[in-house]
Amino acid sequence: MSSSTEPQVEDATREPPSPPSPTASFYDMSDDEEGGYSTIRHSKSGKGVKLLYTKSKVYVHPSPSARDNIPGYVAVMQQKPARDLIASPPTSPGSSSSVGRRAEINSLLLAWVPEKSLGEANTIYTKVESNDSGEPPKQSHLVPAPPVTTSHSSSVGAYAFAIPVTDIFSILVRPPNTGWWFGSIVINTRAGDSFPALFFHDSECQSTIDQRKKLQRENFSISGEDGEGMFWGGDEVIRWLKKFVTVERSSQEPSVYLIEPSESDRVGFGSAGKPTPDKVRNVLEGKHKDDPAQPRKGSVNDGDPVMKALKQARWSFLEKMSQVTTFTRRTAQAVAENKNLPPQVRRLMQDPQVQTVSDEFDSARLYLARWAMGIAEQSERERSQRIWTAKDMLEMEETGVGEFEVLDMEAQDLSLMDKRKPVTVEEWNGYFNVGTGVLEKTPDEVKDRIFHGGLDPDDSVRKEAWLFILGVYEWTSTKQERHAKMNSLRDEYIRLKGAWWERMLDEQGTLEEREWWKEQKMRIEKDVHRTDRHIPLFAGEDIPHPDPDSPFAEAGTNVHLEQMKDMLLTYNEYNRDLGYVQGMSDLLAPIYAIEQDDAVAFWGFVKFMERMERNFLRDQSGMRLQLVTLDQLCQLLDPKLYDHLQKVDSTNFFFFFRMLLVWFKREFSFPDILRLYETLWTDYLSSNFHLFIAMAILEKHRNVIIDHLKGFDEVLKYVNELSGTIDLPSTLIRAEALFRRFQRTVEAIDRKSSFPGMPKPELRQRLPVPPPTSPGVDGRPRRASQAATGSSAGASASGRAPTVGDHVAAGIGAQKEKVVTPELRALLSREVPKLDKQEVKDHGGGVGA
Amino acid sequence: MAGTRNYDFLIKLLLIGDSGVGKSCCLLRFSEDSFTPSFITTIGIDFKIRTIELDGKRVKLQIWDTAGQERFRTITTAYYRGAMGILLVYDVTDEKSFNNIRTWFSNVEQHASEGVNKMLIGNKCDWEEKRAVSTEQGQALANELGIPFMEVSAKSNINVEKAFFQLAGDIKKRIVDTQQPQQAQQQSVQVGAGQGGVAAGLGKNCC
Repeated sequence: MSSSTEPQVEDATREPPSPPSPTASFYDMSDDEEGGYSTIRHSKSGKGVKLLYTKSKVYVHPSPSARDNIPGYVAVMQQKPARDLIASPPTSPGSSSSVGRRAEINSLLLAWVPEKSLGEANTIYTKVESNDSGEPPKQSHLVPAPPVTTSHSSSVGAYAFAIPVTDIFSILVRPPNTGWWFGSIVINTRAGDSFPALFFHDSECQSTIDQRKKLQRENFSISGEDGEGMFWGGDEVIRWLKKFVTVERSSQEPSVYLIEPSESDRVGFGSAGKPTPDKVRNVLEGKHKDDPAQPRKGSVNDGDPVMKALKQARWSFLEKMSQVTTFTRRTAQAVAENKNLPPQVRRLMQDPQVQTVSDEFDSARLYLARWAMGIAEQSERERSQRIWTAKDMLEMEETGVGEFEVLDMEAQDLSLMDKRKPVTVEEWNGYFNVGTGVLEKTPDEVKDRIFHGGLDPDDSVRKEAWLFILGVYEWTSTKQERHAKMNSLRDEYIRLKGAWWERMLDEQGTLEEREWWKEQKMRIEKDVHRTDRHIPLFAGEDIPHPDPDSPFAEAGTNVHLEQMKDMLLTYNEYNRDLGYVQGMSDLLAPIYAIEQDDAVAFWGFVKFMERMERNFLRDQSGMRLQLVTLDQLCQLLDPKLYDHLQKVDSTNFFFFFRMLLVWFKREFSFPDILRLYETLWTDYLSSNFHLFIAMAILEKHRNVIIDHLKGFDEVLKYVNELSGTIDLPSTLIRAEALFRRFQRTVEAIDRKSSFPGMPKPELRQRLPVPPPTSPGVDGRPRRASQAATGSSAGASASGRAPTVGDHVAAGIGAQKEKVVTPELRALLSREVPKLDKQEVKDHGGGVGA
Repeated sequence: MAGTRNYDFLIKLLLIGDSGVGKSCCLLRFSEDSFTPSFITTIGIDFKIRTIELDGKRVKLQIWDTAGQERFRTITTAYYRGAMGILLVYDVTDEKSFNNIRTWFSNVEQHASEGVNKMLIGNKCDWEEKRAVSTEQGQALANELGIPFMEVSAKSNINVEKAFFQLAGDIKKRIVDTQQPQQAQQQSVQVGAGQGGVAAGLGKNCC
């Protein structure tokens, strides 16, 4: 066999016949025993794959910021020509012999490659793209093989992929909308993964522009193939795939194209089965045998075609169910309420991932609800990506997507677009005077930028900027002053570290004290060994443990873990009234990971702890204050949800305990935590902005909570399990919108209550149902740091002094009176509530207490 | 919702004990039959579910896991009241955690419902070379407190299953089997009311 140096079709005039190409050698080396795509792994030699079709200006939008968009090529590639088909690529899948066809299909890849990574192959891509014959190029164009994957790895930056066409289950096609949203396609694999959406920036893509013109010339139409809407890039990809494989449009979900659907796929989603909601429910309820559309049954086990269909389709099956939103709930209920839930479905649910959730709730009900949420979230994310990437913000406002309050906000301030770009180290350095190193912007301007855009995770800017937002450095300081400060801080760190070190060696102090220290050391060690160990920095166990008696002596340790221990013990020394408490290691790890210098990280941590101290008091008064505040905030902003939470005994908001204690550390990925923490440290809108983050998370799930959660334990479980599923960028935006709404509400209440002619609202403070008294130390609710927050309570972010007292209730438009409690009013303050030393001493629980 | 119930009884258990003794690991072993050496610390409170069969009845165990550090006791004791069974866990390689069992026990006496079933659990019994508390010591303490005792290893999957089954069996005996038929009926309905019913008992009283 040979390469395509033997063009069979005459019309090869445009290209000179190519010389014996390297293809031959490449294909010769490939291992015929290994079917399909696996051979590509042997192509490390770099010889490459044959590029059949490609289109440029296909973008991945990794973040809402247009700046992050990555342009690339979508491509159909062939890694090894099928022997009997090389001569004539099939134009109709049905026409070829089935064996040859199988081989042909097996060798095909659908790929996306970033422009940047192309290098010299760029010209080949351009050339293949410009081929407008509608057929694969006669000549063999070899390009380097992109990494072949069958699943989407979510690691940042790893967007390039090539997936064997046989591994594609379906392609979700979303045509461009209203002329300015980019059309996109999402590839769903048979394994149940989805690749990131590929957006077709048609206006930048020369080949699409040309094809449109051509269509216009030839047909006086620019409609796409199916006659619906305008011709766009995604149409063409589907059209091209059709040349090689069977592409069937799902009758159930017209935006879904099934690739090489099996018989059972067809039954499930294709045109053959045409499953109606009823039919799917029948399947769920085990009534399929009565359904003539279903193939006659085999055994209940694997032989059962329906079961087979269920198994093969798995997640995609569930996706289908939840996409047809009207019947999602019915189906979910059917599953939940059906006593005779067929064993097939139960087995389906035994997919380990499903099992955890379904077990915990005893039914698929919540699983389905949450799953549907996920879908909604994905589409919202994509929608908002399009929104942010689109340049014409104003146009957007007119399209009436107005239910999304965030949009109002965004549209009001177009410069937000720029603000949402991360601050790079260059930009950061530009803020400071070259000579003196004094900040030449106002701290607020800088905070604004960091709050909205974050700091660039890929350069060194965090290392320095964090020390400012944490408060280690004064905003007004000169370079020299900072230098001096850091020197003295280093000395101080060494002194503090020496102090406990000596105590350890000399066994000073009372027996009780010594015991306490030993215990703290043990506790810190245990916790450090289970803090963020999945981060490469903390993962290794490459040095022997310094203490052979430690329980970790066998496992070993690494230098960063040892540094973590030292810093936490030093903090224990520095703040003896509080001591070490679980959760602190979670808070220190990000700072250390960025600074990677124990003294610097230590002082950053000290500053962070100034605001977090209240979370760790023995009597938990600081945590209670925040939970109560969240309760009130929910009451004010979402009474309906609040009512429901009340009904299910969940207004203690205890299900947010973990999130508030360590600032969502367990909910987001490590990179997201870095972004979140720097946002919160700015105190740009409120020093308690984390409560708005909590509220944003809650709001996102309000419908599921209201519709499906029926008890405190369910709410707790549901919220605990959100961990790892929350999208940070949209949460930040939603939190800001909620803050603005809160601010407006408070202002409106204040205005109303200060209006002279109005009947004075009752001066009754409508506190939420007081959180049930805990069997706490002193047994009564205590509001730590109220004194601290109280002092600044009036200083709202808008700078306007409060017009009325703190305890004012007023009816604002709603049936319910709205109350601005002191706790709520404190949310308008940007002043960080800090405990005074005495308070920590009294309630801390450390050795000094 | 009665139709959705796929269990006959709901039993709530609670794991307490010093930080790092392996409460979460025991729970993970029992509920998912897996083990992770570098687990994360438990913050706040969480629970897992496993339905088991006891004497032909399907018993749904809702097992609550708490943060061990003494500092969070204010929070965690709030959850004692709804529990029908409490596992007091120590680490056989950590004497301190064993000594603290008495404190945990008196906490239970103070905050838990009367008659709650208790069980003493010595975890990490696979780690012989580090053992600091002998089986005899464990048994002696259990006798003194008048509660059953078992050494387990979440890591090597020793006795974890057995411990939970035994405690659940004891609870079932106490609550269901010993009561008058009519009461038992009521109780089981109440216990089984699950989602909205007694669940509140655990949730209501936090902080």
